[in-house]
Amino acid sequence: MLEFSKFVVVRGVLAIFTLVLVSFIVFSLMELVPGDCAERYLSFKNSQGSMISLADIQAERIRLGLDKPYIQRWGVWIINAFQGEYGDSCILRLNISQLLGEKFWLSLGLCLSSLILAYIIAIPVGILAATSKNAFLNNSLRLVSYLGLALPNFLLALMIMLFSTVMFGDSLTGLFSKEFRDAAWSYERVKDFLGHVWLPIFILGWSATAFAIQTVRALMSDEIGKLYVTAAAARGVSGRRLLLRYPARHALSPIINSLGFDLNRIFNELPIVALILTLTEAGSLLIEALARSNDQQLAGAIIFLLTASIVGINFITDIILALTDPRVRRSIVG
Amino acid sequence: MTRLLDVENLTLQFDTDEGRITAVDNVSFSLEAGEVMGLVGESGSGKSVTAKSVMKLNPSNAIYGEQTKITLHLDSGPVDIMSLKTSNDLQVVRGGAISMIFQEPMASFAPAISIGNQMVEQLQIHSDMNIKQATELSIEMLDRVGISDAGTRFKQYAFELSGGMRQRAMIAMALSTKPKLLIADEPTTALDVTIQAQVIDLMKDLVTDFGMGIIFITHDLGVIAQTADKVAVMYLGRLVEQGSVRDVIRQPAHPYTKGLIAALPQLDDLDTPLTPIPGDIPSPLERPPGCVFNTRCSAIVGDVCTSAIPKFLNVTDEHQVACHLYDEGASK
Repeated sequence: MLEFSKFVVVRGVLAIFTLVLVSFIVFSLMELVPGDCAERYLSFKNSQGSMISLADIQAERIRLGLDKPYIQRWGVWIINAFQGEYGDSCILRLNISQLLGEKFWLSLGLCLSSLILAYIIAIPVGILAATSKNAFLNNSLRLVSYLGLALPNFLLALMIMLFSTVMFGDSLTGLFSKEFRDAAWSYERVKDFLGHVWLPIFILGWSATAFAIQTVRALMSDEIGKLYVTAAAARGVSGRRLLLRYPARHALSPIINSLGFDLNRIFNELPIVALILTLTEAGSLLIEALARSNDQQLAGAIIFLLTASIVGINFITDIILALTDPRVRRSIVG
Repeated sequence: MTRLLDVENLTLQFDTDEGRITAVDNVSFSLEAGEVMGLVGESGSGKSVTAKSVMKLNPSNAIYGEQTKITLHLDSGPVDIMSLKTSNDLQVVRGGAISMIFQEPMASFAPAISIGNQMVEQLQIHSDMNIKQATELSIEMLDRVGISDAGTRFKQYAFELSGGMRQRAMIAMALSTKPKLLIADEPTTALDVTIQAQVIDLMKDLVTDFGMGIIFITHDLGVIAQTADKVAVMYLGRLVEQGSVRDVIRQPAHPYTKGLIAALPQLDDLDTPLTPIPGDIPSPLERPPGCVFNTRCSAIVGDVCTSAIPKFLNVTDEHQVACHLYDEGASK
């Protein structure tokens, strides 16, 4: 138990260290974009018809603290970021936490749900595919799973929308019905939300599941051929116990290990699905901030939140790994 | 001496994408209680597959010949191993009356399950012991095979132990259910020579204490000379010579056995060049007709070697060889 607490503490410190390091990279990237917040806002103002002088830009810079040294500004930014405060958006002049609001958490929830859905399906199916000698079952699983990998998410989304519009007259877009869009959370709003949210989860989960099935199947096939499985069979372990306690359990470690990576992949696929289903979520906001409005302050905040989520997932998966695999425990504590 | 195991006409083929591969061809031998039999041959000779057949542990694409009969003689009566089908029935030959230890002790323990946990699991499958009793017995067994601080080792994982210690733990686990027959598949090959000697001594002691039979698979004739009572030599799935260790090693009759012995390095005369057997063991897909050794044999008698399968002939009462050299009327 003492060993385990030590592991959690060491791993936690490592996670925070990673996050600080990443925040430095994110902050530096924000700085590398030509121009700064002051210039950007004032050029925006300029385009709206106001006359701006060089002195105005300088005054704005001082007001935003942009004249302070680079490291000092990073220090202030990171301390605020850890408290959930990301400053104001360059262009919109709104507090970023308020601007993002629940959007980020909705996006994260969508991705996590898709991830969970993917593995709930992929683990039993992958194990079945690796152990079954039934050629028909194996080939049909392979077909479905290749279809999942090859069929782009947006195409699947469009097909479902088309089908639903023709059949039911409802295009299934958005995360809320119109009347609940800006309402406060209530029982009805949750119900409305659940009625909408299954579709993006299904679409995002579709390719994630196909990908996960391939992973689980390959890992299981690998483990089943190992000597310790034969050795366990030679000791009289048999049936489901032999399958679950030996190869399945040992194939689980690399799967848990890759969850953070999977989450990132799903988040990357989110904006295009969101675009088609007209969801308001953080992924599309990030693209908007990066590509269109060049709002580095907002983009940095979203990237930081996303990174923090992945670091958080990795922290949690490492704790789970340590509970299930003694080798991981030993590798960090020494 | 009482008979422990009879293997009669063991034939085993594997159904693969390239066709049926014959891995074992009509092999018969027997083993008495308390006897150590060495099963010798190069890689690919079918010795491991033969031993695994006794536990029906070969992969599911294995097809046993119809004449195959393997009988294990227990106090409770004979067990016809080929007729065992369900995993429940098979438990008597899998860890119950027969245990097996493998070449690589590291790979034969599940990496994420503690050694003790795996030992207790086996005991619970094969006996009525509760966890406490099984734990006590397991620690006692670990202690018995010479593992110091057995209580701590019991809780550890395979990767935390040294190579020799792992193989000792493997032996302790294999013996904890008090099997009548132990199959040791190259148990010392992966170990240092000094550790190898310790493990062999340990196994010899345990045979005497437990009065069980051992099938000792190896390609090392030196190890066989030290440990076994009798030896069976396999080549390409067929038995070519068997007999008491003394006879077979002092007066080998089959050209293959002679070759194996000649290929051993001589420590007392380092200048003697090694004399390897020429050529390689053929692929099981291209088994030569007649005597399987005819592609590498230096003592071919004539066409009979490539046309007829040699029968077993007595060299002495306790020493048989399958070679046309000893056919009646054959010129020597």
